[in-house]
Amino acid sequence: MLNNVNRKIGLALFLISIGYLFMSYQLPTYPYIPVDADAIPITLGWILLVLSVALFFSEDKDTEEQKAKRHIPKKDVKAISGVFVLALIFITLLEIVGFLIMTALFIFSSSKFLGYENNLVNAVVSVCFPLILYSIFVFLLNINLPQGVMPF
Amino acid sequence: MGAIEGIITGFEVALSLEGILFVLLGVFVGTFIGMLPGLGPISAIAIMIPITYGMNPTLALVMMAGVYYGAVFGGSTSSILLNAPGISGTVASSFDGYPMAQNGQAGKALAIAAISSFIGGTISVILLMAFAPMLSSVAISFGPPAYFALMLLGLTAIASLSEGSTVKALISAVIGFMVATIGIDPQTGTARYTFGSTNLLDGIDFLIIALGLFAIAEVGYLIINRHKKSMTDAKQLGSLKLSKQDMKEIAGPSGRQSILGFVLGILPGAGATIASFISYISEKRLSKNPEKFGKGAVKGLAAPEASNNAATSGSFVPLLSLGIPGSGTTAVMLGAFLVLGVQPGPMLMGDNPDIFWGIIASMYIGNVFLLILNLPLIPYIARVLTVPRPLLISLVIVFSLIGVYAISFSTFDLYLLLAFGVIGFLMRMFAFPAPPFILAFILGGMMEQSFRQAMTSSNGDISIFFTNNISLVLIILSVLSFTFPIIKSMRQKKQEA
Repeated sequence: MLNNVNRKIGLALFLISIGYLFMSYQLPTYPYIPVDADAIPITLGWILLVLSVALFFSEDKDTEEQKAKRHIPKKDVKAISGVFVLALIFITLLEIVGFLIMTALFIFSSSKFLGYENNLVNAVVSVCFPLILYSIFVFLLNINLPQGVMPF
Repeated sequence: MGAIEGIITGFEVALSLEGILFVLLGVFVGTFIGMLPGLGPISAIAIMIPITYGMNPTLALVMMAGVYYGAVFGGSTSSILLNAPGISGTVASSFDGYPMAQNGQAGKALAIAAISSFIGGTISVILLMAFAPMLSSVAISFGPPAYFALMLLGLTAIASLSEGSTVKALISAVIGFMVATIGIDPQTGTARYTFGSTNLLDGIDFLIIALGLFAIAEVGYLIINRHKKSMTDAKQLGSLKLSKQDMKEIAGPSGRQSILGFVLGILPGAGATIASFISYISEKRLSKNPEKFGKGAVKGLAAPEASNNAATSGSFVPLLSLGIPGSGTTAVMLGAFLVLGVQPGPMLMGDNPDIFWGIIASMYIGNVFLLILNLPLIPYIARVLTVPRPLLISLVIVFSLIGVYAISFSTFDLYLLLAFGVIGFLMRMFAFPAPPFILAFILGGMMEQSFRQAMTSSNGDISIFFTNNISLVLIILSVLSFTFPIIKSMRQKKQEA
């Protein structure tokens, strides 16, 4: 039944629309308001439900190029997941450690992880780029970025 | 203020030292980012928005307009040199641009692109100057019903923005609209879908959506293609000189296709992509040597280049005069206006003539800068294509994260950005187009408000949308604009079958 990719996505969207509709019907309503806060969400929920059914029964009309995009080699999945984890670490530690150190560490480690071999260039970019960006934001635009453990 | 007085005001802004500097910065950065594989005008504008915080709105918007058309031009460069169009609007440029580059005439191809883009940009700005004020003066009398209908017309662009499946484009738009409903409802104060989190009370900032769905999502594909060969030596470009014969060949297509591109740019959903394809096909039909197209024909490159640049200016007509975006890129541009506290629309010309005319006047200057910058500097600017992809990927991620952090100072928004990046990546993977999402996200909130205002004023009587002449005409136009591309594609499929 779920042999076609549209069917799998259609089913997932159908469940999402049911959940969304459930939440929409829970929204509080008030008297004397012609169109309340729940009206548009309820309409959208029903439209998505109908569209998910339409997608479920539609043929997979994607071009060969689009179909090729769905097949990602395992090593690339690992690479994407690795960068994602590094970005998560960056976000989590940004305010604690500070922009300058975290950005330098992120650029260096993520470029190295993705296979960039020239350590010298990598180190120079990792140090200079955050410094330039920090100067633009903090000194030129007066937007403070997290200092963290750094004194400035 | 008349058009002549207006444009004089505009030139005062654009020709001030600051104006010139910001136009120059905008087109330069736009060209630079637009050239990077995968990063088109949407990412370029979104990445640059944080830089404009605290800036004078006029100068900031003049710069952002420069980023927009600079990025369109930059996209052509990667199309020609790498056969890797940054955006769909420059795909047609690669048909003849890339074969020219392969024949050792990359420099000539880039020069043709620069000159045709200049012609397209300049002709269309003249048309923009004529049409935008005209439309503004008509739209000034619009009430909530007409505004709702107008935004509905903007939303019909979705039918044209689908890349194959209309159902997928509609799903993308509905989800975009759903995301727009998150946060406090301004009319009743009800918190919608905030899951008790105070971080979501103000809704989700459009920059998170724009950077997530476009820049971060593209990072995924940049990672997959990280080992792809990039251009290794900028010296491969060859001579930039054009012969008299080349110039003669450029003139006709550039002139014709600029007007066509401009008209298509105004229509919701048509934009640079459709304009460049139609221009390419029509020029091929007009040509005495159609067999040369696809093998490095000068006209085959000049036509889409003039057209996609003209369409860019055309898309500013509904944005500036009506306040509605007709494409994903103009939706992000509208977001940039709103971030700076400027509401584009019919009141803009009267309330902020410096911004309205400043942007238009800056386009004349921006086009000249693009030509001056790109002709002699293109071999150097093209070096950006030699940046190793692993480094590029890391820099794009940092730029996006810091851009979002600078608007909210909240790490919660950064997690959201990553989440939208994943959603955008999955959308690309399963061929759900992202532009309808952002278009519906931006228009959705405004549409809901004007719908509810109109319904409140009519005491809940929906006939207000059909008794108001302007809104009735706009609703009919919306229905036509929505159904026409669908019927057309169904007919085509029937014919093919």
